[in-house]
Amino acid sequence: MNEERELAISPIVQTSVQHNTQVVSNIRNLTASLFGVAAGTLGLESYPGFIFYLVGTLIVSLLVFAVRAEGKPSEYFHRPLGDLWGGEVFSGLSSFVLTWTLFYGLVRA
Amino acid sequence: MAQPVVQTIHRDPALFWWILLPITVVMILTGILRHYAMTLLQSAPKKQSLPQIRQQRSLVRGFNLRQNANVLTPTSFQARKAYMVSSYQEGKFLADPESRGKPRPNPMSDPAAMEGMMGMMKGNMAMMIPQTLIMGWINAFFSGFVIMKLPFPLTPQFKSMLQSGVGTRDLDVRWVSSLSWYFLTLFGLQPVYNFILGSNNAANQMAQQMGQVNPGAGLMGPEQDPDKLFLSEAENLEVLQHQWILEGVEDRLLAKLAV
Amino acid sequence: MLHPNLLTPPSVIPPPVALQLSQKAPPILSSSPTSSLPWPLSLLFSTESPETWTIHENLFLASLRTGDDVSARKVLDRMTTRFGEHSERIIALRGIYEEALAKNDKELEQVFQGYEKILREDPTNFSIRKRRVAVLKSLGRIPDAITALTVLLENSPIDAEAWAELSELYARQNAWGQAIYCLEEVLLIMPNAWTAHAQLATLYYLSASAQSSNQLQPLTLSLRHFCRSVELNEYYLRGFYGLKVVSRKLLPLLSESSTSSKRNNSEDDDTPPPKLESVKKLEELATSKLAEIIRQYNSRTQGWTGFSEAEVTAARELLDADGKIER
Repeated sequence: MNEERELAISPIVQTSVQHNTQVVSNIRNLTASLFGVAAGTLGLESYPGFIFYLVGTLIVSLLVFAVRAEGKPSEYFHRPLGDLWGGEVFSGLSSFVLTWTLFYGLVRA
Repeated sequence: MAQPVVQTIHRDPALFWWILLPITVVMILTGILRHYAMTLLQSAPKKQSLPQIRQQRSLVRGFNLRQNANVLTPTSFQARKAYMVSSYQEGKFLADPESRGKPRPNPMSDPAAMEGMMGMMKGNMAMMIPQTLIMGWINAFFSGFVIMKLPFPLTPQFKSMLQSGVGTRDLDVRWVSSLSWYFLTLFGLQPVYNFILGSNNAANQMAQQMGQVNPGAGLMGPEQDPDKLFLSEAENLEVLQHQWILEGVEDRLLAKLAV
Repeated sequence: MLHPNLLTPPSVIPPPVALQLSQKAPPILSSSPTSSLPWPLSLLFSTESPETWTIHENLFLASLRTGDDVSARKVLDRMTTRFGEHSERIIALRGIYEEALAKNDKELEQVFQGYEKILREDPTNFSIRKRRVAVLKSLGRIPDAITALTVLLENSPIDAEAWAELSELYARQNAWGQAIYCLEEVLLIMPNAWTAHAQLATLYYLSASAQSSNQLQPLTLSLRHFCRSVELNEYYLRGFYGLKVVSRKLLPLLSESSTSSKRNNSEDDDTPPPKLESVKKLEELATSKLAEIIRQYNSRTQGWTGFSEAEVTAARELLDADGKIER
C-alpha cells in the first residue's frame, strides 16, 4: 500500500521505461552476438564459452551502469537490480549461441 | 574406461555457402515476410454503433474512476461513485436495455465473437505455416549429413532430433545436421528482426506468444455479458478505498523542494 | 530552443514557430511521397512511412494558420488521394480547411450544415462532432456548443480533450461548478497531467474570487492543486506563479480565521485549511523558484530557455509588484 501511494505521488512514465528497456536490450543483443563471434573465433568449447558469455555480459552491465546510466541506475530504471543487472542476462543467450556456433564451425572446420 | 576418441570429420567448405547461408537468408526473409503478412492480415476495427461505443466507453469511465480516484476530493469522489454505481446497476449505459438478463447467444453463432477467433487463428497460421514449410524444405534437401560441430556438449537425447537422417550410432552428439542450424536461427534471429523491422514487429515470436496469453480487448470481450461487467464494476467501485492524493501535499512539496 | 519540426510539433505553437513550420511546405510538396513506378517496383522503392503522413497533417495545419491556403489545398489533395474520400480523418481535415476559408458567418453556417449532413449519415464520427462544436464556438453560440459537447461526452465519456473543452466553455459562462467537474473528469483520465492540475487550481481560484463569502475552501483546494502540479513538474512556471498568487491571497484569510474561530475546522472536515506556517513557506518557495527561473532564463543558461517569453515576463511583473508592496 505504501509503495503504491509512493508510485501515485511520483508516477513513472511508461514510455520512458519502455525506451530505456529497449535501449538496454538492443545493447545486450548486439554485444551478445559480438561475444559469440569472439568466442567462436577463439575456439572456446562448452563451459569456457558460457563463462566467457557471463563475464562479457557482466562487463556490458558495468559499462551500461557507468556510461549510459551515469552511475545512477535508480534514475533510469524502476528496479535497478532486476532491470539492469539481472533480468536481461539470458535474453542475449540465444543470439550468442547462434554466432558462437557459426564462427566455431567456420574457423575450426 | 578409455578416453573417448576425439572424432574429426573433414567437411567441404562449400557446405557453408550452400547450406548455412541459404538457410539463414531464408529464415531472415521469412521473418520479414511474416511481419508484413501480419500487418496486412490485421483487419481494420469494425465500426460500432453509437450505443455500443457508449456502452464500452462508459465502462472504461468507471474503470478510470476506480484507477485514478485518488486525484479527487473526497466529496466529489463520493458524488461520482454514487452516480456511477446507481447508473451501472440500473443498466443506464447498456446498448440494448431490453436484452438485459437474457442469456447471451452462443459465441460460435455470434459474428463478432467469430471475428476475434479468426484474428487469433490468422496469427497462429502466420507462425505455423512458414515453420512447417521450412522444416519440410530442410528435411527434403539437406538431410542425411552433418554440417557442423557445436561448441558445447549435449546429452544423447538430442541425438535423434539433431542428427536426423544420419544413421551413425557412435557419432558424437556435437556433430549436427542442418536441421539444428534451423533451430538455432529460429531462436537466435530475434535481435536481427528487431534491427531490421523496428522494435514492435510482428515477426517477434515472444510478442506473439504473449499476445495469445493476454487478450488484447481484455476489458470487453465480445462474448461477455456487458450487464455483468457493469454490475461487477459497480461492486468494485463500492468497495474502493479512497485516499486523496492531495492530502498533505503542501508539506510533501516543502520537504521535497526545501532549499 | 529546439528547432521546430513537423513530425513532433510542440503542443502549443506560437505564431513565429507556425510560420517556420509552414515555410517548409515547398520542399515537402515538391517530392512525391508515393512512388510513380509500376506496381511491384513501387513497393520496393517507396519512401512512404507513417511519419510521412504525420508530417503532411501538421504541415496542413500550419499552412492554414499562416494563410498559405494553396499549400494546404495541395497537402489535403495528396492525403485524399492516399486515404480516400471517406476516411474519418480526411473528412475532418477537409472540414477544417473549409472552416478556415469561410469568410463570414454565413459561410461558416454552410460548413455547419455540411457537418450536420455527415453526422446524419454516420453518427459515430467523433472528429466531425468536435468540428461541429468548434464551428458553434466560433459562431459565438456558446450554449449550443455546450449542448453539442454534452451529447458527445454522453456517448464518449473518456475523451479528455472534449472534457477540457467543455470545462473551458463553462468557465466562459462563469459556471465554475460545472467547469470544475469537467476538469476533474480530465484528471480521472490523465491523473498525472500537471497542466490539468494547474488549470483546475485556476478554476478554483477564479470561483473563489467570484464569490464573496467562504473563500477559504476553494482557495485551499486551489493551493493544493497548484502544489500537486509543481510536485509533478518542478520546472512548471505557471504552477509556481499560481502558488504564489493563491498563497498571498490565503495568508490574510488564514490569520483572520485562526484568530476568530476554530469551529470552521470541524465543519469542513473534508478539506481542512492548510497551516499558516506552511502557506508562508510555500509562498517563499514559489518566490525563490520564480526568481531562479527568471534569472536563468535571462542569462540564457543551457536547459532553462524552454519557458515562454510571455510567462517569464508575467512572473517578473508579479515579483516586481510584490517587491513594491513590501518596500
